[in-house]
Amino acid sequence: MNNSLIIGQYVPGNSLVHKLDPRTKITIIFFYVITVFFANSLASYSVLVVFALACMFTSRVPLRFIMKGLTPVWFLIIFTFILHLFVTKEGTVIFDFWIFEFYSGGVIQGFAISIRFFLLILVTSLLTLTTTPIEITDAIEDMLRPLNKVRFPVHELALMMSISLRFIPTLMQETDKISRAQASRGVDFRTGPIKDRIKAVVPLLVPLFVSAFKRAEELAMAMEARGYQGGEGRTKLRELKIELRDIMVYLLFACVIALLFLTRNYS
Amino acid sequence: MQKTSMQSSNLLKLIILALLGTISLVLFFLNFPLPFLPAYLKIDFSEVPAIMAGLIFSPMAGIIVVAIKNLLYLAISGAGDPIGVAANFLAGLMFVVPVSLIYHKFKKGTKSVVSGLVTGTIIMAVGMSVLNYFVILPAYGWFMGWEMTNQVIWASVIAGVLPFNVIKGIVVALLFIPIFIKMRRWIEQKQVSLT
Repeated sequence: MNNSLIIGQYVPGNSLVHKLDPRTKITIIFFYVITVFFANSLASYSVLVVFALACMFTSRVPLRFIMKGLTPVWFLIIFTFILHLFVTKEGTVIFDFWIFEFYSGGVIQGFAISIRFFLLILVTSLLTLTTTPIEITDAIEDMLRPLNKVRFPVHELALMMSISLRFIPTLMQETDKISRAQASRGVDFRTGPIKDRIKAVVPLLVPLFVSAFKRAEELAMAMEARGYQGGEGRTKLRELKIELRDIMVYLLFACVIALLFLTRNYS
Repeated sequence: MQKTSMQSSNLLKLIILALLGTISLVLFFLNFPLPFLPAYLKIDFSEVPAIMAGLIFSPMAGIIVVAIKNLLYLAISGAGDPIGVAANFLAGLMFVVPVSLIYHKFKKGTKSVVSGLVTGTIIMAVGMSVLNYFVILPAYGWFMGWEMTNQVIWASVIAGVLPFNVIKGIVVALLFIPIFIKMRRWIEQKQVSLT
């Protein structure tokens, strides 16, 4: 439990990718994820791979952190590859031994899908590796701002998200403390039949709820005392600003997309 | 605590929902797989704080807690599995809303909570099976390039999604009922002081 107190994947750094405006990163990743599905030739895949690897290296995030983000999906990638190897029966037979009969089409498709999946995971995890959750929340608030016009409470949502983020470590610590207190009284959370484990969670959640409400009351009072009046006219500690580097990155990415559609197979 | 204005109780409500969302996320991270079902179907107790919000405030409050949990999950661990996050949000919604609706519609006691949990489990199990059959599993298939026949989808719904959601509903209900019995007076107190 102690190790899981550090959740999230953010790796502090000073690279170009770290310094980019979070809105730029989210926008580019959004369009990247869409364009990945348009790639269908070796050249177009290479364009995408080069772009993703270039982002990875400029971010200077140590490779082991990136690999850690990929661990849960390695299995899926390999499974998909093997599935295609066995199931897709197109092209010529390139390997035939006992029950193993692999076709060139299967190998190619297996590779293509695995690389597509790998790229999606790599690029989206680069976002969370180089951007703090609070920056992402700020960016979401800013990007949802147009919804204000249809009376969607954007500011309130962002406020709730940043309060939530702020309290994750606090409440995790509290959960840890309560579960230790219960464990010292002989409660066993880890072993035993499911029924007993469920029972063990009850005395953990009750104090958690009560203290969360107490904290909320204190925080609300503190905010009121400091004159909090909602989103109208509120200034910010962290201002988001589009800089020259953001524009350059947008231009570069536009070139990547253009290149992808040039190298795509249209037949 | 004395409320001086509308706004102040509104802010308090926002903060409470935010903190319930945090608890929900913490519980979400403490998930565990079931021994006899595929590993991607994991059980967690993250619906409990959402039900709590649904009982104290309204069905909408329950939905907000589920939404905060899923949004934070996206912001923290990235969008590697956007379909899964969307599915989790919909499942939470289908479970929490009936509980809250039934509780507020009828006598606010253990009986209506239990019948709400039963209804919620049924709606979630059936609803998620339908969604998986028509939308989620085909979406995954498209995403991963698997060609899934209707038979495969049907089999994974009947053997995976349906029993999983029934068990999940039962487990969460078994946890929530004792919590409700213990905290009933406290919940009623909060209803009076907060709404």
